[in-house]
Amino acid sequence: MTAPTPTVGSEQVDTSDAPVIEARDVWKIFGPHPERLLGSDDLDLPRAELHAKTGNTIASRDVSFDVARGEVFVIMGLSGSGKSTLVRCITRLVEPTSGTISMCGQDVLRADARSLRQLRRTKVAMVFQHFGLFPHRTVIDNAAYGLEVQRVPKQTRHERAREILGIVGLAGVESSYPDQLSGGMQQRVGLARALAVDPEVLIFDEAFSALDPLIRREMQDEVARLQARLHKTVVFVTHDLDEALKIGDRIAIMKDGRFVQVGTPAEIVGAPADDYVAEFVRDVPRGKVLTAAFALQPHAGETPESVVNQDARLGELLPVIFGVQGPIGVVGSDDQLVGILDRRMVVHILAGREQHNVPEEPTLEPSTPAAS
Amino acid sequence: MSPPSAASSLASAEAPPPFLIDVGRLGRRLAPLAVGIAICIAGVALSGFHKGFPAKWVLGGGVPNWFDRADSWVQTNQSSNFFLHHIIGGLGSFLNSATNDLVSALHWLTWVGVLILAVLVAWLVGRWKTAIFAALMVSSFGILQIPNGGPNGISDMWQPAMTTLSLMAVAIVISTIIGIPLGVASAVWTPVSKTLRPILDVAQILPAFAYLVPIVVLFSIGNPAGIVATVIYAVPPLVRFTEVGIRTVRRDVIEAGEAFGATRRQILRDIQLPLAAQAIMLGLNQVIMMALSIVVIASLVGAGGLGDPVLQALQTQDLGMGAVAGLLIVFMAMWLDRTSAALGKHATRRVGVGKRLTRPQLAILWGGLLVVVLVAQYGLNLGDWPSGWGFSIVDHVTNGMNWVTNQLTHVSESLSSFLTLHVLNPLQAFLNDFPWWLMAALVGAAAWARGGPRRAILLVGCVALMGLMQAPVGYTFQGVTSYDFSAWGDAMQTLSLVIVALVLDLAVGIPLGIAAYRWRAADAVLRPILDFLQTLPAFVYLIPVVALFGVGNLAGVTASFVYALPAAVRATTLGLRAVQREVIEAGQSFGSTRWQLLLKIELPIARPYITLAVNQTILLVMAEVVVAGLVGAGGLGLDVVTGFSRSEVGLGAAAGLTMVLMGIVLDRLSQTRQTQGGQG
Repeated sequence: MTAPTPTVGSEQVDTSDAPVIEARDVWKIFGPHPERLLGSDDLDLPRAELHAKTGNTIASRDVSFDVARGEVFVIMGLSGSGKSTLVRCITRLVEPTSGTISMCGQDVLRADARSLRQLRRTKVAMVFQHFGLFPHRTVIDNAAYGLEVQRVPKQTRHERAREILGIVGLAGVESSYPDQLSGGMQQRVGLARALAVDPEVLIFDEAFSALDPLIRREMQDEVARLQARLHKTVVFVTHDLDEALKIGDRIAIMKDGRFVQVGTPAEIVGAPADDYVAEFVRDVPRGKVLTAAFALQPHAGETPESVVNQDARLGELLPVIFGVQGPIGVVGSDDQLVGILDRRMVVHILAGREQHNVPEEPTLEPSTPAAS
Repeated sequence: MSPPSAASSLASAEAPPPFLIDVGRLGRRLAPLAVGIAICIAGVALSGFHKGFPAKWVLGGGVPNWFDRADSWVQTNQSSNFFLHHIIGGLGSFLNSATNDLVSALHWLTWVGVLILAVLVAWLVGRWKTAIFAALMVSSFGILQIPNGGPNGISDMWQPAMTTLSLMAVAIVISTIIGIPLGVASAVWTPVSKTLRPILDVAQILPAFAYLVPIVVLFSIGNPAGIVATVIYAVPPLVRFTEVGIRTVRRDVIEAGEAFGATRRQILRDIQLPLAAQAIMLGLNQVIMMALSIVVIASLVGAGGLGDPVLQALQTQDLGMGAVAGLLIVFMAMWLDRTSAALGKHATRRVGVGKRLTRPQLAILWGGLLVVVLVAQYGLNLGDWPSGWGFSIVDHVTNGMNWVTNQLTHVSESLSSFLTLHVLNPLQAFLNDFPWWLMAALVGAAAWARGGPRRAILLVGCVALMGLMQAPVGYTFQGVTSYDFSAWGDAMQTLSLVIVALVLDLAVGIPLGIAAYRWRAADAVLRPILDFLQTLPAFVYLIPVVALFGVGNLAGVTASFVYALPAAVRATTLGLRAVQREVIEAGQSFGSTRWQLLLKIELPIARPYITLAVNQTILLVMAEVVVAGLVGAGGLGLDVVTGFSRSEVGLGAAAGLTMVLMGIVLDRLSQTRQTQGGQG
């Protein structure tokens, strides 16, 4: 039934470098008269004091970020850090208090109801924490929902939904109801529903948090597999660091409505911006995240016996380190030698001791779009 | 390090100096007391140390006089006033002709057609069992007969049953047309909801008796008055169910719709309404049951049907006939309940009905029915149920009831005399002599403690108004009517009945609820009994009670006790069941005994439900106590009944108003601060 090479999304490859999502100075303040609070001194009050004084809660404080085309941008934070609210501001499911957000070149906050709906229908789709499936509709009608609100004829949308359900591994359950499926399968329906409208941007809001660890890993792999094929622009919200490190091209760590640090997984783990992030990443197995760039010593003229790429994970370098006697060169993306691998430091890092170099120009400053 | 210091400053900010808390709490404790004392002083200053309510305090020429005047104005202007003639009169004649058309339609269908139709519908929405049950119940209308004792000399009850069915159908259709759109509107537009809420609140605590008289003033005696009363009674729950059903659709499901760019209308039509369908069907089921219960009461205002023989039986003490007619009402209730409940079960998922039949299959079914009806009507000349096909069990029932009554005489008489002499009479005397200002003070203080100053003001106002509903001493109207109406005294009499029935209900109901929670066997025994009791219309309870205790207050108390008992038991069990398993296990793991678990964990956690149980029980008891006016239970209910039978409209209407005020007081007093309708 399912076509061997379905054409999902890959037909319109836009090569422009402009970010797909640009968010600038986004504030979201809950409670009475949020506009009065902006610019006042109360903004710096601790959460509880602010709430006691004005009844307001600040979910998002002056957040700016870009998401490049095809990038997986992870927003990570503990519960209450404001990540789910922020991600809802992108499509105005929650109305931001101030700031600008543009998506695919369109000013989202200025859009009227009609064009906002158009944007939600065609450009962006969301996968929800508790799936948000419609319990009164069959799997296929759930998956076809986005097309249905666009008034796509029944036959066309069912064809499309069936195709996508096949891709996410749900062929054969089209006429079941959501509550007849396991949690993992339900979220696959949620994923299919999002993919069926062929959006440019996919938003995952804690999409896998409600799943068992094994199923969660399976779904993460599924997303990685689909992403390798579809190259969507993805905003992924999670509170699970492992998930963030596994999926993200870049990760924003969020705390109390602020981005504390934005960077690649290696940068977050190898060069935490403050104690909060450091505490977070303390138990991450470094060999799986840190790259050769973190264990460099200057090149002193010796001839490398072997070379490795600076983006290679340290854990994967062990065969080279033990298989080669002489110096190991590290090369950059342009194949230029950037240094020699420091074997002692690799061992220290893998042993979990805090002793490593920080590559030059780590992206510590928030809102700097890193060309990863 | 910055985070810890921030945390510590936060903690200190949250703890204000301790003495402040104490003063605040003390103030909150003392405020109600102060309010009570203040009201006492004001009351004494105004009226002196009177017993009861001062008789000279009369509003205008007396509230009953307003209604008497309104009634006579309506009588004289019936045909000349545009509103009365065209709107009210038009509505009345429409309702009348709709009912009559339906009755003749059912007659045209012939008894075979009606029977098959009932079975077919039951089978379509439910299972075979539902269909067989429907067949049995519908045939009982023909089979169980009342020999020459029936109204209009009809011996079988088929025709009255069809009349009741038609009245209900008209009332239900109108309720649906009004109720569901209102429910949708108040779910979608919060202002509508806010406007409707207080109205619905009051409408739901009103005993149907309260507004029968004003309706009769407008529509005069007959079917339309009955239908209007039914609609007023049945619309509020339908609005509620619809609104709550739509509002409790999970937020994330709606958000998913929004995220995919659905319009508001699309979300309402494709997501909220289908998901609320089950709640709406449940509401419809409620409406059907309420309609049945009030269509019977509506016999009082001249609506025909099965209520008539019951009413006659109660008035002539022909209890065998009453019991059989009552039984038929019960059968009708069970039939309609089963069928409409089956409809609700499938509503959400497989929209519409339980069976999925193709169009041709349905066409064959309906076509077949039509052929059968045509043959029966024109070929066989069938009509209503043939009177030869049935038998009377009235004599057996009368004998049986006499036998049971005789067996129980000893018990019932001693119980009766004990309750009357040692409980009801002293309580009545006590409440009668209770000064109104002290009552107002107690109510005000309790209301303040439970719901704050606004509730206190409202309730004290209601208490005072209750007394002010009275007629002036020696009241006469146009030289023809004259009656006494001491609203305060009658309200206190009603209150004494309510208190006794309520205490009995809680004393029996809560332990039964606990038992049903604790022991599976108790639950298994109780469940069908409670199910059965809950489908019975309020009216029906009066029959066996009168057989045992004769007419009077005690019959009223007993009927109210039985009527409200299921709610008390159910809410208690529900509350206990809602306690989380884990919490109980935590208790067990510390070695609590069963009793400790119950007293220290389960009951305290279930308290909100038990409060709700008390509230529900109070309202149900009150509703039944006033209905019991029919069997001579004194107080406001008796005033309404007297108001009808001697067409003393002012008395009945003023008593109805007093009931409304009393209902509000009792309801608000038994509710805690939690807002009703809040969802988790």
